[in-house]
Amino acid sequence: MVEAQQDIIQKKETKIIKGNIAAAYAAKSARVQVISAYPITPQTTVVEKLSEFADKGEMPGTQYLKMESEHSVMASIIGASTAGTRTFTATSGQGLFYMYEMVHWAAGARLPIVTTISSRGPAPPWNIWADFTDVISCRDTGWMISFASGHQEIYDDILMSYKICEDHDILLPKFVAYGGFTLSHTSKPVIIEEQEDVDEFLPPLPDEKGWPHIFLDPERPMMHGNLIMPSGFYNEFRLKIHFTHTLAKQKIKDVSTEFEKKFGRSYGNGLVEEYKMEDAEIAVLNYGELAMQMEDAVDDLRNEGYKVGCVKLRYFRPFPTEEIRQIAKKVKVLGVADRATAFGSPTGGPVSSEVLAALYGSGTSTIILPIVMGLGGREVGLEQQKNQLKVLNHLNETGEFPKDMIEGTFWDGLLEVD
Amino acid sequence: MKDNGIIEITFHGRGGQTAITASQLLAQLAYEESFKDAIAIPIIGAERRGAPIQAFTKLSRNKIIKTYDSVTNPNYMLIFDPTLLDIPRILETIKSGVTLLINTKHPIDTCEFPENIKIFIVDATGICINLGFMHSSGPILNIPMLGAFGQITKFYNLDTLKKVIYSEFGEERGKKNLEVAIEAYNSVKEVELI
Repeated sequence: MVEAQQDIIQKKETKIIKGNIAAAYAAKSARVQVISAYPITPQTTVVEKLSEFADKGEMPGTQYLKMESEHSVMASIIGASTAGTRTFTATSGQGLFYMYEMVHWAAGARLPIVTTISSRGPAPPWNIWADFTDVISCRDTGWMISFASGHQEIYDDILMSYKICEDHDILLPKFVAYGGFTLSHTSKPVIIEEQEDVDEFLPPLPDEKGWPHIFLDPERPMMHGNLIMPSGFYNEFRLKIHFTHTLAKQKIKDVSTEFEKKFGRSYGNGLVEEYKMEDAEIAVLNYGELAMQMEDAVDDLRNEGYKVGCVKLRYFRPFPTEEIRQIAKKVKVLGVADRATAFGSPTGGPVSSEVLAALYGSGTSTIILPIVMGLGGREVGLEQQKNQLKVLNHLNETGEFPKDMIEGTFWDGLLEVD
Repeated sequence: MKDNGIIEITFHGRGGQTAITASQLLAQLAYEESFKDAIAIPIIGAERRGAPIQAFTKLSRNKIIKTYDSVTNPNYMLIFDPTLLDIPRILETIKSGVTLLINTKHPIDTCEFPENIKIFIVDATGICINLGFMHSSGPILNIPMLGAFGQITKFYNLDTLKKVIYSEFGEERGKKNLEVAIEAYNSVKEVELI
């Protein structure tokens, strides 16, 4: 009975919305002060919804800037954030690439900007569907990068992002990525939290003094982004960004715990989320929506008697090196499935290459199977993921890799080509 | 219903016939009416008016839905345009056990269909024309189709339809929507298969 009542209470605050709309609601809940926008598929409905909120007067105190390109979007967001405001924008694929120069700048200037990416495959050939190669191409910019695997997680992760980024020990920008169309345009129930609860959870909006390290204040003049000679502190600035990523891991865990306490939704330890890993001999690591779907594949195979589990990688930057080492130690075979490419890298998949690097020196004898799949939105269904688990099981039992491996990587779901 | 307790519905329409919106509204209707979880999945490409389009809805009374993949073996199929039944890809989806809801005013030739299926028909286009429920490129078929679907499945009743329609379109525009939905709810009928 109590449970039923709770269900009803929860339903009152729930909307059936697309992933993109969940992102827009999160920006609204976070009371962002400046939104800068340029449309690009599949992100467009994020900024469309926000313009609707702004137009209806539902976001008082928010400046909505319509720019002429993504490069200008990020440039204007950098200006707004430098002035000491909470900022938001969203982009995808080619738009992110056009933004790229300014992406580096935002991290170098240590601005806590939050940007969502409805990920899509890079062109050519022209592609608008799920593929995380776009956001992963920002690997070395200094931005933190997380993946949402469901609609609620998009909303929740954006809220957590502001708390992490604006912490005075962190002060770095962050991308929240999710699959174009697979999440951006599908609709599911999402709880939109009460404004006062979100206000309590998030740090107060920055005041006119701005951030501690950077501000636009005629009373306190400061030089921004000027030339630094090779003998200057350039190396030390860069090391500090790297060091802050290391520091951010604990902050991410702490914020994830606080979020669970406040709102009752848990995302593993914040960096990774494990599913049925306690006695698993075989596991596969995914990120984004396919990490969620893999949980059903695991359930199905467990019903057939397989000792399988799965891992959701929530953060790509900072990379959860220690967690990955612990996970690898638990199992005999670990598949690492990328919906993204890293051409010419050791495995062809960005995350599998990182996992291998993370395991170096950890003394693990776990067999790693890099998998690349679902590029440019090619559908990866439940049956395909169940088959991946069976391939891993076969590898565990016989030591045999799949026949059609390409330079150490299993490219799953390719069309037959001569 | 599937072994995993999930009810799967496919929507087949032509660009402009509002089938994608129908898939989203169905998720809302079911969720409003005590289903635990729902997802609406449109297949998006470079759509044109008149080109075949597809969308899916998955509904669950007791389980959180974690899959985002296409529905290939639906429990229900909503056919917004009977000429779509000439397309082999769509015809192949019609398997034993499926329930079809077809927008048509003409009798349906069922000889190519497998055994053990149910067919319901509703003249959604006629209802829209009669009641003036049109947009720039033709009748707005989603509301009558969902009205009829509510009648044949009992997944939601007219009160829920009214609630969702009014919250989505406002009371003023909602009235006409509801009128259309009720007309279809009352006029959908089952085709007797020999």
